[in-house]
Amino acid sequence: MSVSSILGLFREEAPRLKSTFRQIYAVVWANLMIFFSYKYSVITDLLSMAASIFMYYFMGLQVDPTQLSSRGYGQSYIAFALVGVATSQYLWICLSRLSHVIQHDIRGGTLETVAVTQIKMGVYFIGQTIRGYLISLISLFGTFAVGLFALGVTLQINVYTIATTVTTFLLMIVANQAIGFMTAGIVMVYKRGDPVTFILAGLNEFLSGVLYPLELLQQFPIVYWMARIFPYTYALDAMRKSLIGGATILSPDVYFDLTMLIIFSVVLLPIGLKVLQRGYNVIRKNGTMATY
Amino acid sequence: MKTPELINFLKEVPVSGREASVLEKVYAFVVRDFRTWWTYKLWVSIDILGTLMFVVSYYFVSKIVTTTSLEAAGYGTDYLTFAVIGVAFQQYVFSSVSTLSESIRGEQWDGTMETILSSKTNFRVFLLGESVFRFIMGSYFLVTALLVGEAIGVKITTNLGSILSAAIMTMLLITSHMIVGILSAALILKVKEGDPIVWSFSWLTQLFSGVLYPLNLLPSQISWIGAIFPLTYSLDGIRRCLTVEATIFSPIVAEDIVKLAIFIVVSLPIALKAFKAAYDSTRSDGSLGQY
Repeated sequence: MSVSSILGLFREEAPRLKSTFRQIYAVVWANLMIFFSYKYSVITDLLSMAASIFMYYFMGLQVDPTQLSSRGYGQSYIAFALVGVATSQYLWICLSRLSHVIQHDIRGGTLETVAVTQIKMGVYFIGQTIRGYLISLISLFGTFAVGLFALGVTLQINVYTIATTVTTFLLMIVANQAIGFMTAGIVMVYKRGDPVTFILAGLNEFLSGVLYPLELLQQFPIVYWMARIFPYTYALDAMRKSLIGGATILSPDVYFDLTMLIIFSVVLLPIGLKVLQRGYNVIRKNGTMATY
Repeated sequence: MKTPELINFLKEVPVSGREASVLEKVYAFVVRDFRTWWTYKLWVSIDILGTLMFVVSYYFVSKIVTTTSLEAAGYGTDYLTFAVIGVAFQQYVFSSVSTLSESIRGEQWDGTMETILSSKTNFRVFLLGESVFRFIMGSYFLVTALLVGEAIGVKITTNLGSILSAAIMTMLLITSHMIVGILSAALILKVKEGDPIVWSFSWLTQLFSGVLYPLNLLPSQISWIGAIFPLTYSLDGIRRCLTVEATIFSPIVAEDIVKLAIFIVVSLPIALKAFKAAYDSTRSDGSLGQY
């Protein structure tokens, strides 16, 4: 047998994907297939989401409406909580996705395997992140659907408020994804859990006013100041003012919130990417890509 | 070498001394789990921080709620106390139940479950050993949550009789939820992924057991669902003891105790049988160590 015949025998049948876009698509598609193979988990996730909205509905029956209306958030606690809970859950599921998948891959020994293929790690991380955002949309839309159609929540829905909300939402993702990249970089090196995500998720829910108006924090100036250093605080305020109060991108409050989100994005994103890259380089150099 | 000599050569050397008692084995599980937990000191601090944040969150929520429905249900006039007791005990049982099934998954994932169960430790001791540390940790966070609550305005009675009654209710709560944990572990052994029992305890109890609101707010068509969960009776009894100074001799609390006792007596044999069946089935089909 000649050398070229032997090489031909061992040659791969399918050519490798060269294009970055096709590689990202492949990572996203493969992970979507895995997700939908766990049908039971998909169903329980959706039911959990519906249950949580119903829970806030009943909790809202105890809330004094004047406490919300006096702060510009309308009269309905369920509308107030719906926007807060839906977006905060979406955001933190997405942000923790990358660190969770890295932990899972390290433990399963597959991160090293992916690293030695021709797929660039950056592409792999982007693919996993996009998968997280896509899958979580099911829960986000489901949460709003339960609120709007099952519980009769009234939101200001028109072209302007939707455009404002979508813009805010996208800026919220960009500004916060930096935190997701940072936590993933830290998890790669320290292995155990993702404490940074956990702390930030908790602080975010506590400080950004997911369950109560932010103005209540003013009686504790340090806590109120801390709330102002989280991009989600601005994003949630803008989305609530738009979807509950009918404000648009040109309303001064919303305009201010969006400007803050842009500043956060410009400052945090390069830092997040740097931490992620550094974490990856450290585990490659130390040979700890498969240890946990 | 003759066959009997060969067999004798390969025969296990009997371990000298007696076999460890159940208590010693459970203690060994607790020490093992504690050492693992203690190695992650950062997580220990984060867990405490998390507890602090959730308690303080309800402080702010209490500033926007009215207490009419609380008073009508007989839980006093303080929403912060109501919510902190509800969330602290719900989290306590949920984390204890869910970590049991998670630890079973972890043992399967690491391949240590088959090893432990091939030793002289039987599955009942294994389950007890896996559960005890989780409940100890759950109790630690429960006490932390109540102490933080106390610091920010939660009003818990100092009446000794009521505190002892709440302690009895808590023991019943732990026992009933250990049973739930065993059922959940049985399911995890078989289906490996996803667990409707943990799911039910996570969300359905929050919705129907009156964790954040009194059950008189639920429409009558769905309020009966709460009666399925032991948490509903436990929370009701504990709240009445800790906030309005009821005791186990108060008719409503006594009724809660009877219901919890019935739940335990009926479900304990079922849960152990279910776990035994799942355990035997996975041993028989060779999937005990699979995940």
